[in-house]
Order: sequence, then C-alpha cells, then structure tokens
Amino acid sequence: MSDVFDPISLEIYWSRLISIADESAAALLRTAFSTVVRESNDFTTVLMDADCNCLSENTAGIPSFVGMLPSAVRSFLQHIPREEWRPGDCIITNDPEIGSGHLPDITMAAPIFYKDRLVGFSGSIAHLPDIGGAGWAGDCRELVEEGLRLMPVKFISEGRENTYVTQLIRHNVRAPDQVIGDIYAQVSAQRVCAAGVQQFLEDTGMDDLVMLSAELRARAEAAMRKAIAALPDGSWTSSVRADGFDADETFIHCRLTIRGSELEMDFEGTSPQIGRGINSVLKYTTAYANYPIKCALDPESPRNEGSFQPVTVRAPLGSILNPVFPAPVAARQLTGHLLTGAIYGCLAQVVPDLVVAESGSAPTLRTVFGGRTRDGQSFNQVLFASGGLGASSRMDGYACTAFPSNTGAGSIEVLESVSPLLVRHKELAQDSGGAGKFRGGLGQDIVLDILSDSPVNISLLSDRHKYPPKGLLGGTSGSKSIVALSDGTRLHPKSRSVLKPGETLHIHFPGGGGFGSPAERDRAAVKRDVEFGYVSQDAADKLYGVQDER
Amino acid sequence: MGYKMSANLRVRIGVDVGGTFTDLVLVDDRRGVIFTGKQLTTHQDPSQAICEGVERIVREAGLTIDQVDGIVHGTTLVTNTLIERNGSCVGLVTTKGFRDVLEVGHEMRYDLYDLFMEKPEPIVPRPLRLTVTERMSAKGEVLEPLNENEVLESAARLVDGGAEAIAVSFLNAFANPLHELRAAELIARAHPQIPVTTSVGVAPEIREYERTCTATANAYVLPKMRRYITLLRHKLLELGFGGTLSVMLSNGGTAALSVAENAPIQMIESGPAAGAISGAHYAGLSDTAHAVAFDMGGTTAKMCLIENGQPEHSQTFEAGRVRRFRQGSGIPLKVPVIDLIEIGAGGGSIARLDRMGLLKVGPDSASSEPGPVCYRKGGEDPTVTDADLMLGYLSPEYFLGGELELDTSAVEGALKIKLADDSGLTMMEAAAGIHAVVNNNMAAATRRYIAEKGRDPRKYTLIATGGAGPVHAYGLAKELKIGRLIIPFGAGVSSALGFLLAAPAVNDVRSQIVLLDQATPEAARVMYDQMSETAVAQLIAGGADRDGIVMKSSVDIRYRGQGFDVEVELPANFLKTDFRYALRQSFEEKYKLLFGRHITDVPVEIVSWRLVASCPRPEVKLHFEGQQIDRREALKGKRRVYFAQSGFVEANVYNRYGLSAGTTIQGPAVIEERESTAVMGPDTTIKVDQYLNLIVEIEDGRGELV
Repeated sequence: MSDVFDPISLEIYWSRLISIADESAAALLRTAFSTVVRESNDFTTVLMDADCNCLSENTAGIPSFVGMLPSAVRSFLQHIPREEWRPGDCIITNDPEIGSGHLPDITMAAPIFYKDRLVGFSGSIAHLPDIGGAGWAGDCRELVEEGLRLMPVKFISEGRENTYVTQLIRHNVRAPDQVIGDIYAQVSAQRVCAAGVQQFLEDTGMDDLVMLSAELRARAEAAMRKAIAALPDGSWTSSVRADGFDADETFIHCRLTIRGSELEMDFEGTSPQIGRGINSVLKYTTAYANYPIKCALDPESPRNEGSFQPVTVRAPLGSILNPVFPAPVAARQLTGHLLTGAIYGCLAQVVPDLVVAESGSAPTLRTVFGGRTRDGQSFNQVLFASGGLGASSRMDGYACTAFPSNTGAGSIEVLESVSPLLVRHKELAQDSGGAGKFRGGLGQDIVLDILSDSPVNISLLSDRHKYPPKGLLGGTSGSKSIVALSDGTRLHPKSRSVLKPGETLHIHFPGGGGFGSPAERDRAAVKRDVEFGYVSQDAADKLYGVQDER
Repeated sequence: MGYKMSANLRVRIGVDVGGTFTDLVLVDDRRGVIFTGKQLTTHQDPSQAICEGVERIVREAGLTIDQVDGIVHGTTLVTNTLIERNGSCVGLVTTKGFRDVLEVGHEMRYDLYDLFMEKPEPIVPRPLRLTVTERMSAKGEVLEPLNENEVLESAARLVDGGAEAIAVSFLNAFANPLHELRAAELIARAHPQIPVTTSVGVAPEIREYERTCTATANAYVLPKMRRYITLLRHKLLELGFGGTLSVMLSNGGTAALSVAENAPIQMIESGPAAGAISGAHYAGLSDTAHAVAFDMGGTTAKMCLIENGQPEHSQTFEAGRVRRFRQGSGIPLKVPVIDLIEIGAGGGSIARLDRMGLLKVGPDSASSEPGPVCYRKGGEDPTVTDADLMLGYLSPEYFLGGELELDTSAVEGALKIKLADDSGLTMMEAAAGIHAVVNNNMAAATRRYIAEKGRDPRKYTLIATGGAGPVHAYGLAKELKIGRLIIPFGAGVSSALGFLLAAPAVNDVRSQIVLLDQATPEAARVMYDQMSETAVAQLIAGGADRDGIVMKSSVDIRYRGQGFDVEVELPANFLKTDFRYALRQSFEEKYKLLFGRHITDVPVEIVSWRLVASCPRPEVKLHFEGQQIDRREALKGKRRVYFAQSGFVEANVYNRYGLSAGTTIQGPAVIEERESTAVMGPDTTIKVDQYLNLIVEIEDGRGELV
C-alpha cells in the first residue's frame, strides 16, 4: 500500500466517491418510469477510472451487477476506440455477453473528461420494462426471439440524441415511452456522475483517479485476503438440483477451494447448457458466485472490484453457467440465484456460522401480467413478492425476504389501481419454512382474480417446483413452489400462458431451509411458532415432538 | 392558541421534552424579554420536570403562573416509545386475506451484505392481527360488504387477548373509508374504554403497508400520550395555570391538545420541527432566501432547507430504526413532517479505524454517558468533542460556561492508544482527521439532500445551531462551498424557541388517481370541500380567527406509468377555473428543475390531493440585550487554533456577550457563549447584526476541500 494517502484523506475521498455513485443512482431512480426500476430496485450505478477499474458503486444496488460494468466498458472500447469517445457521449448495449446476461437490461457508459483528458467512466445498468420479442419469458429457444439486441452504440453523441437508435428502439418495443424514459433516466445518472467527479478532482487538486483507484483496490483486496486467510485451507464440494426446463433438469456442482488468501469456485460437473432461456453467461455466474462470498466473509468493506481479486470463478464452456453464444438467456436469474446454495453448501462444511441455508426467495418467482384493463388501457405489471430466507446458526430465517437478489415488493393497492387484478389473499404460508434448531423463513401464498374483459397474458419465471430449498446441518427443506388455477391445473413454471377473464390464480412462494437438527430447537420457540400460526400443531408434533398442552 | 389570541398573548412558554434535558423558553412580549431554562428530563413522569421548569422560569421572569397566557409543548415521548418499544398492546382488525401486511413489509434487506441483520418486529404480533370479511376495490366500490358480526367477534377476542388499543386498517380504505369508519364505530360502542385508530384517520393515502404501520404506531403510543396529557393538564391547573396548552406537530405547526390525544403520531418529530421553524425565523430576520438550517448536538446533526423563509415538507418518516440512521431499518410512516435529514454526527460521535485501516467517525456516540474522554466520566474512545478540544476550538475552562472542565491530557492518551499508534498518524493529525471526517460525513449527506432536490448548495446560507453546530459550521461551509453563515445568538436554545414561533396548522390529504385531462374544478371540489371544512373547524376550535386562516393546496403529480411523483402547488383559483394548463406548466417546471428535462408525449396524472390550512406565525421580537456585558470586556485573549489550510494560528477569543450590534471582526476568531462556541477561519469577516446574530462571510466563498 502506498504512502501517498493517509487513512483520513482516503476515508474522505472514498466516501465522497461512493456518494457520487449514490447521487447518480438517486437521479436514475427519481427519473425512471417503470415500476421495475422504482419498486424493485433493479439497477446499479458505477464509477470507473480511465482503465475501467471500478472505484465505487451505489450503496443499495443489485448484487448481480457487481463487477459487470468494468468488463462491459472494456468491451465497449473494442467496438468504439478510445479516441472516438467525446464529452457528452452515452454508449449503450443490451448484449447479454457484454452487458449483464439478458436483453431487458440496458448497460450504459459515458466518458468523464477533466482538463481535456479522459479520466474515467460512469456506468449504469437498469432493467427496462420491455425489450420487444417475447417479452420477459423463459421459454424462447433462441436469443433472437427474446427481443431486440443492441450492440454497443452511441445513444447520445456529444450531447445529441442519436435519433436513428431511438427510433429503432421505439419501433421494436411495447410501451416505447416508458422504455425511452428509462434509458434517459440512465442518461441523467451519467451526467450527475460526471459532474460529481469533475468537482471532486477540482476540490482535491488531483489530475486523475489513477493513484487513488490503485490504493482503494489494494485496500479492498487486502481486506478480502485477510478474511479468506482466516479460514483453513481445504477443498469442499456441494451441489444443487433444479427443475430445469421440462425433462431437462439442471444441476449445479461447486468445488470450493481455499489456499492461503485465495479462494476458487469451480463449477465443473454442472449441467450442459439447454435450449431454453435459463442459461447464465459467465459474467452473471461470476457476479452471483462472488456476492455470497462477500456476504459471508467480508460484509463490512464497501464494494469495489479489489475485493474479488483473490477470488476465482471457473465454469466449463457449454454449461448452463457458461453457455456458448448465442444461447437463450432471458431467465438466467433462475440459474444464477441458485449458486448461493451450492457455495454455502461448501462453506457450511468449514464455517457453518457464516452462512445461511437455502432460501425460498432464491431463485425469484416472477409473474409478468399483460393485457388490457376494463377501460381499454394496456397494462404490463410484474408481481413482485418473495419466499422466505434460509435459517442460520444464530436465527430463524425472515419470512418473505429477497435473497440473493434484493428486489422489493410493491404495494397491492398500487397494483390493483393500475391493472385488472384483484388480490384476494396475501399471507404467510404455515409450515412452509424448513424445520431445524433455527427454522427457515416462511414463504407466502398469493391468490388473485383476473377481472379484465379480455384474456390476460402471463409469463412465469420460476423454479423449485420439484426441488425445495434445502436445509443445512440437519435442518429440513422448505416448501416447493406452486402456481395453479382454482381447478388445480398447474401452469408451466417457465412459459407463457393465457388466463381467461374471471380465472383465479394461486401462487405459493416457498419457505427457506432450516438450520441444525429440529431436536435442538428451543421448545418455547416451537410453542410460539404454533401460537403465531407459523407452524401447525400437527407439524410441531411430528417435526419437533412438541404436543399441544392446551 | 390561535391567531386571534396569539396577537393578544403576552407571556408564552415553549417546552421541549428531550431525551436528556427539558428545555424551556419564556417570552414576555410586554417587556420584550426572553428567559431560558433547562431541567433534567424526568422519564418516569415527564410532567414533573415540566412543572418544576415552568415554576422556576416564571419565578425567574418575575411573574406568577396566572400571568402565563400559553404553553406550547413538544416531546420525544412518541418517537422514543417507538424506539424503545414500550408502548401499549395493540390489536389490529384488517381485511380478510391480508393478515400479514405488517410482517411482510417491503420484503427487502436494508443491508445488502449482512446476512444476520436485525429487522424491526411488527408493532402488532400475529395473534393480535385478526381479519374480517369486507373488500373495497381500488376505485372505492364495495366488492364485499363489511361483516359486522366478525368485527365485533374480532374486537372481543383482541380485548380478551390483552389489547389496550385497536387499529382498523382495510385494503383500499383510502379510496372509500366507509367500512373502516363503521368498524371503528362498532368497536368503540362495544368497548368504550378502548381507543380505536382507523388508517384513514391518520394516513388516508394509497399503500397499505405504510398506512397500516401509521395506524398501528398511532394506536401503540396513544394510551400513553393520553395518560401523560391528562396528568400534565391536571398538574398545570394545580399550579394555577389558566392559559392555553397546545402542542407542536411534526409538520411545524401547533395544534390543540385534542390532536395529540387522538393522533399522537403527528407529534413524532415535534422537536426537530421546532428547530426548523426557528431556522426559518433566523433566515427571515436576515432576508435570506435560501438557507440550510444546521443543528448539531451530542449525537446527531440535522439539516433542513429553508426556501423563502419556509422549511419544506415531506409526507413520510421512518420511525424506530433498529440500526441507527440506517434507512429501511425502521417502520415507514405516512405523516406530514418537516423535510429534514438527520445523521449520526455529533459531539459525542466516536472515532475508530475500520478493518481497512480507514478513519471512521460515528454513528456510534458516547452521548452523555460515558461521554467524550475529556469529560472524565469514564469515556475511553476519542470523540468529535475531544478532537475539537485538541484543535483549540473548545476551551478547557469555558465549556458550558465553565460548568464542566475538560481534560486535555486524557484526550492525548486516548488519541494515541486508539488511533495514532495503529495508523501512523500523529496525535494532532488524528484530531484534525476526526474533525475533517465528521465534516465530510455531514457535507456528503447535505450535498445528496440538496442534489436530490435538483439544487446547488453554493447559493445557500448556513444557519448553525446546537451545541456543536457553531464549532463545525465553518468547516462544513467550506466543504459545501457555502460563502455565508449565520450563528444566532443563544444558538443552544433555538429549538425550544421554535415552539413560540410556530403557528397552528392542519394537514389533510386524499388519494385518488385522476388523469390531469379529467381534473376539473368540480373534481377538485369533491376532494377539497370536506377537507377544508374539517381543517377550518379544527383551527377555529383551537381559537383561530377564520379570516386569518391561509389555505395551501397542492397535488402529488406524475407522468402516467412513472413511480415517482412530485408535489406541485395548485393555482389559487383552482376550485373555480380550469387549472389543467397552469398545473401542467408548473409540473413541467418543477420536473425540469429536479431532473433536467421534461417529457412532452406522456399523459400526466394526479395521485394525491393535499391541503395545509394554517394561521399566520406569531410575531416574536427577540431581545437578548439584558444578557450583555461591557463591550470593553469582549476580547478575552488569544489561543492557538487549527485550520486545515493554515495549520495552527493565533486567534482572538471573544466573549459573545460583549459583542454589540455593528461590531466587525476579522477571522481567525473564536467567539464563546455559554452553550456553544463559534470558530471562524482566517478568511472570514464576522459582523454582529442588530439582533446580535453573527453574520459571517467567507472570502471568495470557494474553499478547498479540507
């Protein structure tokens, strides 16, 4: 570590750079049109130096986007040479391999100039309300079906809109106003970020970010190395089974190895890629492998690429974790979110106190509704809700809490005010959490009626219908997903269906896995669970041997 | 207390019941004098400290209690009850199928990396959340009628289960309150001893989670507040007080006691609101159009924007955070509050090195127990106050007017052991670092807060109050590139003074989504007729003169499909003429200010309709002349003071009570008064204005980053 920066100026500089990323995120959030960004927090903003190293990211961003922008901007530079970047440019792509793994996300970057020199890049990723094609659906067989694909191109050139690009987008998406509005929200974010950096350099008297960037990365790296080195050397394996698509069940196999201050995750043995949209590009795989490591080992230091310098992620080419281009990838989260389970399955064998059991909220269960309201207005709404968190060695899992993604739930009143959906029921699901010394967090049941005059299209993006979230160290599994009509007909978990007016849909969001043996659970906690209705008397009797004394 | 009466009022007392101290201010308009007082808060029975304080301040003012015309009162009782979770046992009656709204919440993690974060417990535990058959649509149509038997059965079960208060919150009640009101009526009739709160009664807005939180939080604090107010009223009567007792609300207005008895949740931010009102007062005195009221005490710093003499308002507040200052870790409420930010930066904020070796300050605080190291009350961790002492900002002998002697050598030891040894910094570098880091934390929060409103900090004046405010104002201003500062006289009591500067005000709101194209005066009248009638009645009941009441109507408005709405004022004659064009224009102006652009091809919709009815602020003339000493004694001596740009320099130290109006001082300078010390750098010119406030100009106003 250099002597150039003392602990005071470094703290002040770093917190200021984080603040710049946060201000940029605030601008994006406020100007965004779609509920996807606003209600579900599905975006991130990043500040990078001139060599595309990440300096800071917004505090509340989505974990999947960690570390994605730097490599995206490096790809941008291959498409558009450095000399051609001008002040006021904004370059975009939604290519899954360059960007963030599926077409609905727009990745944007803009150069930051100071004293006529390129000193850095601002970047952002946000999930658009639509990108044409099949909409957000997991059942496409080809990438081209999944929507419009934009290779890196100047959306804004020296401050002026590239009308060719905006027209191209407008005429290939549903809800063009919202889509263009959201892309412009990203433009606002880039401007705020650039202005913040220029002011920062002026205030500090630095000419560029090179030295500071190196120092910050070195500090983050050192903190992570220290955390890894505290664990014993060794190698552990664990795996997760998933529903896959129809007969093609999928399987994630992880070997986690610690050597000194380095950690490697090798996914050799994972299922080959499949012909439907649940393949996860290597970048997305890497992001969702790194994230749980940071949560478990180094949760306190701020986000920065340096943290992942000592961490290596490998996945065989041609597997669902590193598919050969151009594989369909729209629902890649259904695979990526499962990595946490495989990784914590390894760590639980050596540091069980640092991890949680599998969560019912991993992967997310999304229902995308589209159609017309009774007044003839078109609507397109995602029902955001989560299953339960896995239990840990120190506490029960929280009910209905997103993890590893951090997408929030919108308001039912807001949903009903903009769509012909009537939610009849949204309550915790009894007995859905896995049993254990600590119980898995409960999932929830949602029942809703279709009140439109015309059929409503629905796209389901879900897993866990066959394999529930597993418990750890003797804890039992949580519940499985259910999506069914009132007559009991199950909908295809990863495809598009049509619902008739008046139909009723029941969705069960799974509970999390338990931790430790149920026999060790505090009897008072079991009684409280029964009193609160979290666990039925019957289950208390069977799983915990606690009888009704009333 | 109302407009008409306030004009006649002669003697009024403001009382702020805080966590540590109960502050009092007495203003006697007839003689033009102000008295201040401080009592230790009596937590078992806060009315005890109030009564003792009132008796004492009245005596010191040479008056008798029967000469006091009004007492305005604010308290942290509501907010502390929610933090400490020692309120009443609440039962909730809600719509069938929605028993767990309170427990499920937003389904997010407020800390992205902490797998073991603590989430706040729902105010009502699951066994006391019961559901009844009923359903409204989002448009307010009855889809299923209310099952009255189920309401009565539920209420009986809740009361049997120990509920001391009941909240009723039904889905879509914001669109039609019929079922809620009927259920409340049935419960009240069956259980007259149990107070009932409806969600539309406290927060008639869309979003079931926030509305239900607000209703249950209100029910949770209500019995305690009623007991407390009854006791206080009784005790003051016994003392012989025959004037009007009123309360301060979070919206910056005052209200009759009945508001505190029925909607105590509205008092949750009464103290900070009073601070903002007093900031607005000082901005007005000096004709300052754009100001940041900056109040820094022992554990927190608060920042509030004052535009054209008015603080801004917000409709949300997060109470009872389980992780201090961490957004998302508390209970989100829908209540009208003064829009301000509060961060964990105060004199007691503790400094430490984090695991990456960086210097962190706060949000943990040594508060008053054990306090900073220099207090010698057992504190071992270096704090901001300790650093300020080392840097020459505070005098070891004249802290709290000399009542507390500060120990410099203890601080030296703590700085060495806790910071210097591990970081390679010298002791003085560590002290300067603490000061710089805490200023940076406050500057970052302020910058973000101002930027979110699409504005530039540089055009603002900083008004610094609180014990630590004037010590840090100069450094903070330099970071924000603010060129002008105001340090009010008696900065330490300015919050309690706010109680006497506030006017009665009532807020109301209706949530109904209406496309702007369909927003006719007739549509607006449906919302406003009832709201204004109720508001006026409430103000008149508090003694206001109808002619003096000012109505301000605004809407939350947005582009259709966008999740974010902005509040825009309605034109004055909106109930009579077509206001659509004018409203769209003001919306687009505001939107452009906030976001740098506006959109032309997307329809605009109104989400909520808001009303604020208020009386004019009472005129208070402040005369502190009585406390002045001979101006020849103003200069106390010299002391070495540290500034980032120059290192240690000799600075003149002044006794503030010796500085008369019209005096001009060149920085560097230290100006001491009892509760606080103002420290100004070498590039400042300090003028004492006619109200004895310090008006500070920083040369060229654009300082370097500290």
